[in-house]
Amino acid sequence: MAERIDLEMPATLNALSTVRMVLGGLGARLDFSLDDLDDLYLATDGLLRSALDADPLDRLSVEILIDNGVLRFAAGTFKSAKLRAEVTTYAEGCLDLCMLLRRTIDDVLFEDADGAYRIVLIKRRQDAPA
Amino acid sequence: MSAADERRVSDPLDLEAPPGQARVVTADDRDEAPARGGPGADPQGRGRDDSEKLDQYLLRRYHLHGDRRAREQLITMYLPLVRSLARRYASRGEHFDDLVQVGAIGLIKAIDRFDLSRGVELTTYATPNIVGEIKRYFRDKGWSVRVPRGLQELNIRLNKIIDELVPKLQRAPTINELAEAASATPEEVLEALETSQAYNSVSLQASPNGEGGEDDAGLIDYLGGEEEAYDTMEDRTTLAPGFAKLDKRERYILHLRFFEGQTQSQIAERVGISQMHVSRLIRRSLEKLREEIGELDNPQILRPSGDNPR
Repeated sequence: MAERIDLEMPATLNALSTVRMVLGGLGARLDFSLDDLDDLYLATDGLLRSALDADPLDRLSVEILIDNGVLRFAAGTFKSAKLRAEVTTYAEGCLDLCMLLRRTIDDVLFEDADGAYRIVLIKRRQDAPA
Repeated sequence: MSAADERRVSDPLDLEAPPGQARVVTADDRDEAPARGGPGADPQGRGRDDSEKLDQYLLRRYHLHGDRRAREQLITMYLPLVRSLARRYASRGEHFDDLVQVGAIGLIKAIDRFDLSRGVELTTYATPNIVGEIKRYFRDKGWSVRVPRGLQELNIRLNKIIDELVPKLQRAPTINELAEAASATPEEVLEALETSQAYNSVSLQASPNGEGGEDDAGLIDYLGGEEEAYDTMEDRTTLAPGFAKLDKRERYILHLRFFEGQTQSQIAERVGISQMHVSRLIRRSLEKLREEIGELDNPQILRPSGDNPR
């Protein structure tokens, strides 16, 4: 059964550890491997840090949905074109946010609405027992 | 032992001898080696007295003449002592090689601070220095923030369990598997794993004397094994300013993770450290890179090759 958790936090670096603890609990419930869980931490940490740098936010909203071995992490809404470019633009041989997400997450999506957007990261359980 | 190491410990009486003609001296040889040459009999004896022990001779070469090769020889000669002492502490959850590295710092400090006028054996002086450095590592440098003892112990147990489970399962274990193996709850496991990020380790690039001058050799220069792999990788990352802030091992691990796409468990096996250690190193390396970006305000800093910006 799908389960959704919404977090709304002050847009500070302290939010990252809150997000990490929630993700850890959900990742454990999904039986993510330690490697996958660490990748999830790296991806969300990287994304949220870049978001905090790029967008002058007061509050940070995160929605996490788990369903059938899949974790869907949505953060936003953002307006920064710079952040969007950092997430989407990949340069060969470059260890940037785009590369980090490509190596740690299965899918990255944008949800557009009213000139703003949310970034969605999708992580599927791999190599874990059925 | 690598060719470079063999060169370092090649016949101590002939510091210029080509490696191919050199005899390898071990710690067991130390008492015999000085028997060659006579008083004032340089070539190769270089003014040593017959009765003078090899280590005393090398200590004099280093302290009186600034001969750094003599210092390197001493370090190499006494590494077996470091290993032997480090082995006593290997059951405490730290990787043996890391303890050897830390112990080697104690050895190097002992060699550098040795007072020739005291008339004591280097072994006598070095042993408490080596042990002291290892103990200090556990006591002071181990945890950078206060972590409850129970969590520290669970963390150490998890480290061992992960090392056992990865080869057995042929993949990284899940939190639930770790919890079961450690007789803990998943929440406790998560908390213990999170606290592991507060755990420090000594950089292989750290200068043994803590000065870090440009010409100072890092600890890695005295320890063989993985260094060759770091050097031979196709590592464009070494050219970028941001990556230059990372030590060889950090660059190598980032390269394996993000450019070769290896998992943390695979990297742990390849590099010979624990999965938790790889996790810490990756997180800290990325942290360093972010700091570099912040300081220089230049997104291209993360670009290893430095060409064709996006």
